[in-house]
Amino acid sequence: MSTFVLDEVEAGNLLSSYGIPMAKTVICESFNELDAIARDVTFPVVMKILSPDILHKTDAGAVILGISSLDGMSKAYQTILMNVTTNCPEALIKGVIVQEMQSKGLELIFGVNRDAQFGHVLLFGIGGIYVEILNAVSMRLAPLTRLDALEMIRETPLGKVFQGARGARYNEEEVIQVLLNLSRLVQEHPEIIEIDINPFLVYEHGKTGCGVDALILCEKD
Amino acid sequence: MTEHELNGLFQPKGIAVIGASNNPLKAGCIIINNMIKGKFPGKLYPVNQSEENVAGLNTYARLSDIDDVVELVVLITPASAIYSIMDDLDERMASKNDVRFIVCAAADYAETKTEEGIKRQERLMQAKDKYGIRIIGPNCIGVIDTVSRVNTTFVDTGVSEDRFGPPGGISFISQSGSVAASILAWGASKVIGIRYNKFISVGNMADIDFIDLLEFLEQDPSTKVIGIYMEGYQNGKQLIKVMGRIARKKPIIILKVGRSSKGSVAANSHTSSMSGSDKVYDAAFRQYGILRVEDLWELLDTLQAFDKMRLPDGNRLFVLTQAGGPGIYCSDEISKYDFIETPMVSENTKNQLKETMPRMAAICVPEGYADITASATIRQHCDSLRYVLMDPSVDGVCFITVVTPFLPSAQLGKELSDTYWSLDEKYRKPVYFCIMAGEAVIPCRRELEQTGLVTFDSPTEAVKAAKNMIIYNMKREKETQTGQ
Repeated sequence: MSTFVLDEVEAGNLLSSYGIPMAKTVICESFNELDAIARDVTFPVVMKILSPDILHKTDAGAVILGISSLDGMSKAYQTILMNVTTNCPEALIKGVIVQEMQSKGLELIFGVNRDAQFGHVLLFGIGGIYVEILNAVSMRLAPLTRLDALEMIRETPLGKVFQGARGARYNEEEVIQVLLNLSRLVQEHPEIIEIDINPFLVYEHGKTGCGVDALILCEKD
Repeated sequence: MTEHELNGLFQPKGIAVIGASNNPLKAGCIIINNMIKGKFPGKLYPVNQSEENVAGLNTYARLSDIDDVVELVVLITPASAIYSIMDDLDERMASKNDVRFIVCAAADYAETKTEEGIKRQERLMQAKDKYGIRIIGPNCIGVIDTVSRVNTTFVDTGVSEDRFGPPGGISFISQSGSVAASILAWGASKVIGIRYNKFISVGNMADIDFIDLLEFLEQDPSTKVIGIYMEGYQNGKQLIKVMGRIARKKPIIILKVGRSSKGSVAANSHTSSMSGSDKVYDAAFRQYGILRVEDLWELLDTLQAFDKMRLPDGNRLFVLTQAGGPGIYCSDEISKYDFIETPMVSENTKNQLKETMPRMAAICVPEGYADITASATIRQHCDSLRYVLMDPSVDGVCFITVVTPFLPSAQLGKELSDTYWSLDEKYRKPVYFCIMAGEAVIPCRRELEQTGLVTFDSPTEAVKAAKNMIIYNMKREKETQTGQ
């Protein structure tokens, strides 16, 4: 079975089209576009290389955080391209991504795997870089009912957080909607093998959350 | 409704046992004995080429020699004999065309993954392809139906008939023959031996598999609760769908092994089944309200609880104890399950308890807990149970007593059960009786169990059964509320 990966921008667009909020991400394909992009986004932003060949972007010097002006964007653009030319001379470059930086929130993970026996399995839990170590996740088979989604949340330690532990005021409904939308997405796209949204940030007091990094792996027909 | 095809497996007209024997060390001897001991009312035909009669029954050299109707054939011969037996079957089918089921107990078929093993299984399966004969096994211990008294197993539980209770509502499907045998033996060794309703060891599932049997048990009116021991299945998704549908009507309790990566490799080489990702199975069981248990004890205790007790109306479990230590231990066990709630009984109930229990008794300190102390009389045991059960905030009771030398064990059991059964039906809520401990309290437990109550070895077992009943009830209620 041959596969292909949707890049951050393609994955983000697909997820957004299914009602899953994603951090605003724009591709910059030439230096001249920076000016228009700067007027369109809310600072601060993060810039990173868009290349299917570079998996460890930070190591390649291809990620720059906390940019807050057009001037900063111009410098970052040049630095990233220079670093990539030096560190990964063979890599195919599709452009440089400009993504709005998100304020610190509660990090969640949403995922889908296609199991050989059971088909699409949805995953939810505590996100961030320690997902595997913490292993605070729950799973359900697609398609999900609303009750399934609710039980997925309640089954993880996050259940208590969403129910208001220590005065927390997160919006559980937001999470339920992401799960139901993900379920609908994979029902309509059986070719999807894997989806990984980590982190997905949620906030208290009504601020809408969003996915930051997303990866989608598909089967090529 | 049309009769389910598998009804014939459990109520066959005429059973032939190929490999029947007089040698008590052979499975072919135990099968015949079990069937005679179990008073199978139908016709039994031992097939054996060297002995003239087995257990007083005429033997036949070949299957095709039997004149009367044979609907079920049990194979207990070494697997290498399969070719000649199948030729014999071909002959029978050409003249009589009456065989509908084969239970192939012998091992050394496709599960060995050898060329010869696979070939043998293919020859066996020709019976299905040619005649539509349905096959259980190979590599299994067979089937039991206590209602029709068919018993093709070669398990001797060593427990005399009078130690068993009446046929209950527990039906069991096992992928492993040895686990099946152990479940039979452990069930038989309970205070009152469990008489399973239907008991099926499926082995390699060359033909009849989990789904066939589950769908049969789904519509079987005398099956109330279904137990499963499972290693793996090729079509997990389909299996879960069927289980999920049935679980809404009848509880399904499953012991699925292969949690660990080592266990999963062993499962795969064992029954040549694909064990599937255990984590996904686990999630699917939760999603569809199928109760997964951790061990054989929890499995048996939970099956008995569902068979004998009515479902709790809610998740509030009262701890009523006659001894501090076991009561605290029980509370700790309950606190492992955050969905179990503490009942807040009324002032009236508290006053009734305070007025009638020994002076030192600790009543509702903490809430949902009463320690009536070791000085409690039989009367006080019974009264406290009655008061607690009649309180509207109580959905179930863990009742613990450590039978002291000054309490007549059997009498305590008798009076407790009289108290329970004299209550109005609405107050006969689930009570998880923990009579401690060991051999000394068997008379008390027997009195309770004889009237249909359930007793447990310790608070651990009692609480596990209670939490499983609560999970099942909560899941069903949520489904009803949300319509999902």
